[in-house]
Amino acid sequence: MNRFEFSGKLKTVLLVGIVIGLLSLIVEYFVVGDELHSQFWGDIILNNSYFMGMALMALFALSAFIAAWAGWYSVFKRLFEAFNAFLIPGAVIIFIVALGNYFGWHHLYLWNDAEHVAHDEVLQGKSAFLNKNTFMIMTLLFVGVWLLYRYKLRSLSLLEDAGVKGDYSAHQKMRNWAGTFLPIAGYSSALLIWLWLMSIEPHWYSTMYAWYTASSWFVGVLSVMIIVLVYLRGKGYFELVTKEHLHDMGKFLFAFSIFWSYLFFDQYMLIWFGNVGEETVHFKVQQGEFPVIFYTILILNFIVPFLGLMINTAKKSNVVLVVIAVLTFIGHWLDMWLNVKPFVGEATAEFTGIHEHISHYPSLPEIGVMIGFLSLFLFVTFKCLSNAPLVGENDPYLEESIHHHS
Amino acid sequence: MKNRKDIVYGVYSEEHDIIEAVREARSRGMEIYDVYSPMPIHGLDPVLGLKESRLHIAGFIYGLLGTLTAFLGMTWIFTKDWPIIFGGKPYWAVPSFIPITFELTVLFAAIGMTVSFYVVSGMGFGVDNDVLDERISDDKFCLAFDNAEVEADEAKQFLRANNAEEILEKTLKA
Repeated sequence: MNRFEFSGKLKTVLLVGIVIGLLSLIVEYFVVGDELHSQFWGDIILNNSYFMGMALMALFALSAFIAAWAGWYSVFKRLFEAFNAFLIPGAVIIFIVALGNYFGWHHLYLWNDAEHVAHDEVLQGKSAFLNKNTFMIMTLLFVGVWLLYRYKLRSLSLLEDAGVKGDYSAHQKMRNWAGTFLPIAGYSSALLIWLWLMSIEPHWYSTMYAWYTASSWFVGVLSVMIIVLVYLRGKGYFELVTKEHLHDMGKFLFAFSIFWSYLFFDQYMLIWFGNVGEETVHFKVQQGEFPVIFYTILILNFIVPFLGLMINTAKKSNVVLVVIAVLTFIGHWLDMWLNVKPFVGEATAEFTGIHEHISHYPSLPEIGVMIGFLSLFLFVTFKCLSNAPLVGENDPYLEESIHHHS
Repeated sequence: MKNRKDIVYGVYSEEHDIIEAVREARSRGMEIYDVYSPMPIHGLDPVLGLKESRLHIAGFIYGLLGTLTAFLGMTWIFTKDWPIIFGGKPYWAVPSFIPITFELTVLFAAIGMTVSFYVVSGMGFGVDNDVLDERISDDKFCLAFDNAEVEADEAKQFLRANNAEEILEKTLKA
């Protein structure tokens, strides 16, 4: 089967998931939230950043592979192409958040409140970067660039399919696009992470934060991709994908989990040792008020993949890979949750003077929103996957990929 | 025990040729003395029927030893032997132990595995190993049969039938 059929049960399940997400958002807006609806907007920025970041990292990985003349992934390259489909709905949602800055729909960002900034010297100093115009322009510009690259790489890949075998002109062009995307994605993702996520806690900053979040996204997308790949193989698609390809995906999951741990620890230890009040406040909230989640994240994102995927055979076993991928996916979502929600709560408390909405665990509606976004993410991914043959017959590296050994 | 081995070997230039020859020899039940290659050939191990190396298990144990040495060592030094306060931190300052624990884990694993590998393979300083063919450290692959296991004529006939570029003989000090 060279064409993915997106229908039936899978479609129903994902649509139900999207409905659960919408219901949870409605509940958060009208029932459980505070008068500023910070729960609602906080969940939107949290999940949209996570899933959009995952889509971006799929595009980034694809570009890195193309630029590095990698061949091993060619039999399932459509998966990398399809996984960045969420950039389109994500762009719409983040545009709504950016518009919200203008019209005062939400109070996610303390720096956006003129009254507050008037008596806050730190935020006055940062106002050249942290203002609603920068937020809007950079969001539109960089997300637009990501969408352009997504469109170019995808259409060139389809052009290659339609062309003649042995004609590599489309691939040559893809290489140029992919190569230029690498630095662009690196810098633009960092800028947008500062704006979208780090500025929720506008008095605090960390130079590790952008990489740390980006590595979280990368592990997230690898986890979902491994689960989807095993699922699709079980359904009879991707017959050409062997244990060797899964082994390499396992290696990626292992390596990037350790990369994340490295960045996490760097950020933590420098701030812990420096012991500067403006910096330690971040961990005082995370570790002091949310200790269970804080240590759970370390176990799920470092200990589990490190010990679980260390052995060769574990990386080749579907069951082990899927179990660990599910755990790391949850772990990195929790990590994003801990980086966003407590500080949204703090910002809300600045406005309302009430501290009571800070929940110490993700509540049911928050998990519902995550399920909704995940379903939407998978929905657009599968939709994109069903639009083209699963194997690009004219890919110059196809033969190498079929015979891939590790 | 005989301390010399009479070897018949075929020289190959292409990886896939030698993999095919090995597969053929194994399917005929011929005992292969060894395969020589200047670099790791992907997919050769399963064709040769080699068991997975246990070197990495040894590596894990060496690494664990390094972790424990560093962590317990620093714990003992900074809480019992010579407690000093650094930067207002507690005596048992776990986050600041982690970089050194990491380094010692890597160091123990690296040195342990290297030494183990040399001992197991019979290599090291002052050991003079007989080289089958000098080109195996450059660009050629060799498939070797021991005359004690496979008759010399049978081996030569097999290599000729299986695309060996040259068929040579050599006596190795065992």
